[in-house]
Amino acid sequence: MAGVIPTSLSSGKEEDGANRNRAALRRVFYGRSLRSLSVGFWVMVIAFLMIRLSPGDPVRIALGSEATEASVAEMRHKLGLDQSIFYQFYRYFINIFKGDLGYSYFSNRSVTSVVTTHLPVTLMIIALSIFLGILLAIPIALFVALSKNQVTTYLFRAFTSISLALPGFFLAVVGLYFFGIKLRWAPAAGYEPGFPGNLQFIWLPALVNCGSLVPVLSRVLHSSLMDTLDEEFVETGVIRGVSKIRFYWSYLLRPSLAPTVVLLSYMIGVMIGGTVIMETIFSLPGIGRELITAVDSRDYPVVQGIVMIFGLIVVFFSFIGDLLGYLLDRRVTLS
Amino acid sequence: MTIVNTKARKRMREGSFGLYTGFTMILTLIVAGAIVPWLSKYDPNAPGGTPIARPSGAHWFGTDLLGRDVFTRVFDAVFIDLGTAIIGVSIPLVVGTIIGTLLGISRSKRVNSVVGSIIDGINAFPFLIFVIALIAFIGPGIPSIILALSLVNWARYARVARTRAVVVNQQGYVEAARILGFSKVRILFKHIIPNVSSETRAYALSDFIIVIIAVAALSFLGMGTPPPQAEWGAMIRDGTQILALAWWPTIFPGLALCWAGVAVAFVAEGLQRRLRETNSK
Repeated sequence: MAGVIPTSLSSGKEEDGANRNRAALRRVFYGRSLRSLSVGFWVMVIAFLMIRLSPGDPVRIALGSEATEASVAEMRHKLGLDQSIFYQFYRYFINIFKGDLGYSYFSNRSVTSVVTTHLPVTLMIIALSIFLGILLAIPIALFVALSKNQVTTYLFRAFTSISLALPGFFLAVVGLYFFGIKLRWAPAAGYEPGFPGNLQFIWLPALVNCGSLVPVLSRVLHSSLMDTLDEEFVETGVIRGVSKIRFYWSYLLRPSLAPTVVLLSYMIGVMIGGTVIMETIFSLPGIGRELITAVDSRDYPVVQGIVMIFGLIVVFFSFIGDLLGYLLDRRVTLS
Repeated sequence: MTIVNTKARKRMREGSFGLYTGFTMILTLIVAGAIVPWLSKYDPNAPGGTPIARPSGAHWFGTDLLGRDVFTRVFDAVFIDLGTAIIGVSIPLVVGTIIGTLLGISRSKRVNSVVGSIIDGINAFPFLIFVIALIAFIGPGIPSIILALSLVNWARYARVARTRAVVVNQQGYVEAARILGFSKVRILFKHIIPNVSSETRAYALSDFIIVIIAVAALSFLGMGTPPPQAEWGAMIRDGTQILALAWWPTIFPGLALCWAGVAVAFVAEGLQRRLRETNSK
């Protein structure tokens, strides 16, 4: 290809590149969707099989100890437990898509209604935790990355690994003691639905909950900021004398965000686990407290339904996180 | 050259500092766990004495609602908490490493995709939620906690092991062992698994922090040891009910748990630094 490249050919090449890009994006999208769907399917299978781990007969637990043989048999038939396991799974699977997750053994409430009533509270706490986590992690990571002091970096690493080793539920109890009992800045219990009235009840649980998020987020953001700082365009930014905010955002943060976004989506599971404990400690009417109550009373359908929903939520957010990470930075390799 | 060397040595020292601090902290805890309940004049589990007495010369950490000595109870719980966590990490470590390695070296696409999907499915559930749910089905207690932890965590180890086994399987020494005509079992246990498990063991150390906190959290939620057995999570749970009256029955077991977690974190960090150091040499 010696000589001058005709313009038409080079523009054709560009178009070709854009097409290939779009094709690659489409391939990633379909690949990820397929994978998420298959994982989602296995989540349902595992949730379905979980109930079989119990040593006792779930029907007897549901009916109580003084149930007659006839009523047990009738209940089994009603729940379809006298059918083959594959047929039972088929029914379970179909019912999920109809929005039917079964009924509580004790209160006659449908599991779907338990989930739809209590899930918003939980999601609200998780959202606030993530918001606070990002709000704290970005300045910390920026400060450590921009400080030339070795001691700062060393202290940062030490503090993050120590804070990851502290139990969240104990920190929550300590927080409850100081802010709830001593200072009375936060109510020890109670809840009021609706934003922003609920903020006074959930700020403390969310703050404690983001304690598991901030060290991880700030570490990953810090290490990608360090990589970005080595790039030549950062120097260009300094030389061109762009405004401070523009420099921080376009030259430092935006090119460094992709791994953090992917990580954030993977942290959803950890946040859910933390929130369940926070709800129990602060008596918040979220789905986590429902889960603990159901575990205590052996209300199997409720436990099964809540666990499956949480599994699907995690699958969904990993999918979104992977795609966002891919879009933000094509260089991110997804395992 | 000298600069590089001193730098490397300095990093080595930093790693050692973490290692020694961590090991000393763990050792202190274990020694105290062995000695304190034996030397103490108080029974860790029998009620008696003044309830909710402030920390004093007679009761260093005060007493709880039932008048039991918190100091004795905190150290009486060491072996239950550490032991549960150690077993709860070891079983999935062994099972997960073996399953993951077998998957990594197996040529069957079908086995790989089915077991791989099951692993992905298990890993999709939030860790703590899944463990709580399993305990709901198998019942509360320490053996249940261990069983539930094993059922959930093997999948994480298997994922780490599989990725590693694929790499190890293509190494020259494995190839050489095959050409020498060693049996498959010998190659697996003598050549592949030791190299895969260096990776999973490193993962186990950071997992240990999560598990020891999870064990206490499960007891805190009422799924662990039945009373009166002293256990940090259960003690914090009991203490929380009288938090407005007394902080000591809650804070001291919590600090012990933090101590254990931070100690392991130091060891993990130190070992990781060492590993990086030897790898980069």
